[in-house]
Amino acid sequence: MNYLWSLLAESFWQILIPGLTMTIPLTVISFAIAMVIAVAVALVQFAKVPVIRQIARFYIWVIRGTPLLVQLFVVFFGLPHVGILIDAFPAAVLVFSINQGAYCAETVRAALESVPAGQLEAAACAGLTWSQSIRRIVLPQALRTAFPPLSNSLIGMVKDTSLAANITVTEMFMATERIVALTAEPLALYIEVGVIYLLFCTVLTRLQRVGEKRLSVYG
Amino acid sequence: MLEVKNIRKSFGDLEVLRGVDLRVNRGDVVAILGPSGSGKTTLLRCMNFLEQADDGVLVFDGESHPFRQITKKGIVRLRKKTAFVFQNYNLFRNKTALQNVTEGLIIGRRIPKSQAIEIGEQALQKVGLLDHRDYYPSQLSGGQQQRVAIARAIATKPEIIYFDEPTSALDPELTGEVLAVMRTLANEGMTMLVVTHEMGFARHVSNRVIFLENGAVVESGDAYSFFEHPKEARTKAFLQTLNGKLTQAC
Repeated sequence: MNYLWSLLAESFWQILIPGLTMTIPLTVISFAIAMVIAVAVALVQFAKVPVIRQIARFYIWVIRGTPLLVQLFVVFFGLPHVGILIDAFPAAVLVFSINQGAYCAETVRAALESVPAGQLEAAACAGLTWSQSIRRIVLPQALRTAFPPLSNSLIGMVKDTSLAANITVTEMFMATERIVALTAEPLALYIEVGVIYLLFCTVLTRLQRVGEKRLSVYG
Repeated sequence: MLEVKNIRKSFGDLEVLRGVDLRVNRGDVVAILGPSGSGKTTLLRCMNFLEQADDGVLVFDGESHPFRQITKKGIVRLRKKTAFVFQNYNLFRNKTALQNVTEGLIIGRRIPKSQAIEIGEQALQKVGLLDHRDYYPSQLSGGQQQRVAIARAIATKPEIIYFDEPTSALDPELTGEVLAVMRTLANEGMTMLVVTHEMGFARHVSNRVIFLENGAVVESGDAYSFFEHPKEARTKAFLQTLNGKLTQAC
């Protein structure tokens, strides 16, 4: 029993450190890029931009319809076959941001459509151009509506990054697998890494609550 | 100052406006009356390009703008000379009362911020809500929201303000405060085009009345003769129903 406790104490840092240096940067960078993609893809649909709007629908259809793991494998193991070599970490960032971008684009689009049409009309009558109305009136309101579901996506993404272990990114889950291989204590160690994921997500849940409170100023 | 010629608009098979003509002189307060579904609101919305009319011309300050040919730029330019007050206020929900008023000045018209705030405060003062400048729309009553909307309209110094049933969404006890503000504006010579069901306002504040039915003008004229000596049978019937309702209500 004592052995198990000291193993857990020792491995805690060996798992947490790749969590801090890999899992979190991977999540933060990918999610930031995903948000840019999401807003852009949602806006071209909201504005009904011809052709580009169809491309946006196609992108969402393909990405949502194929497994994340498959997307990771195509980029990391598949693309080198046509001469495109991407390192593990950037490949993971690429796949996670494109994948998450598709889901979040739908969230943002729904939020944009939930803003009453009268808001745009009032902005137009006040002398604002369409892009000014979107930037200053519609998007801020939409992002507030989208904040809880987007937080949901972010929390989901923290855990999805464990899939990057499959393309040799040495994040938390891969670090755990290595320790399991050396110590043959799968039950304790996999529970331990689960608890660390839970810790990360608890912090995010707290942040979500603070964020929602801040955004609710205008009721 | 403003003239609409032969405006037509259909939604699918439904003809909502069948060639309406309208003229507003500077300083006029024109009330547009008519039963629901007569096309009053659509007329106003087409005049500010919130709907695209199928045919007709808008003449503004002597310049002709055919509804079907006007460009986006032309629309933005014309809208800067007009203001619109909506039935359901449509205040920007993410902006305070003052920001609602200054948004069109700072962003739409590139007026320096400090100057815009000064204008905005004057406008809020005028509708009696300066002490509510930092409230968000959700913290205001319907009547207060509509007064902020009127402040937003006058702050841009428009040549005309369009009112689309400005009191229809309000409780009876709140309509008074909005009508009072509108009466003050009228007395100061603001040009106003008002779609309304408030007969008291039409009769005592407006100087001209247009009665619409089924997308066409049935009768128009100065407010006094419209109410006292209506010419058309349909107008008489409309006024009688209203009187009947009033008697019943009493």
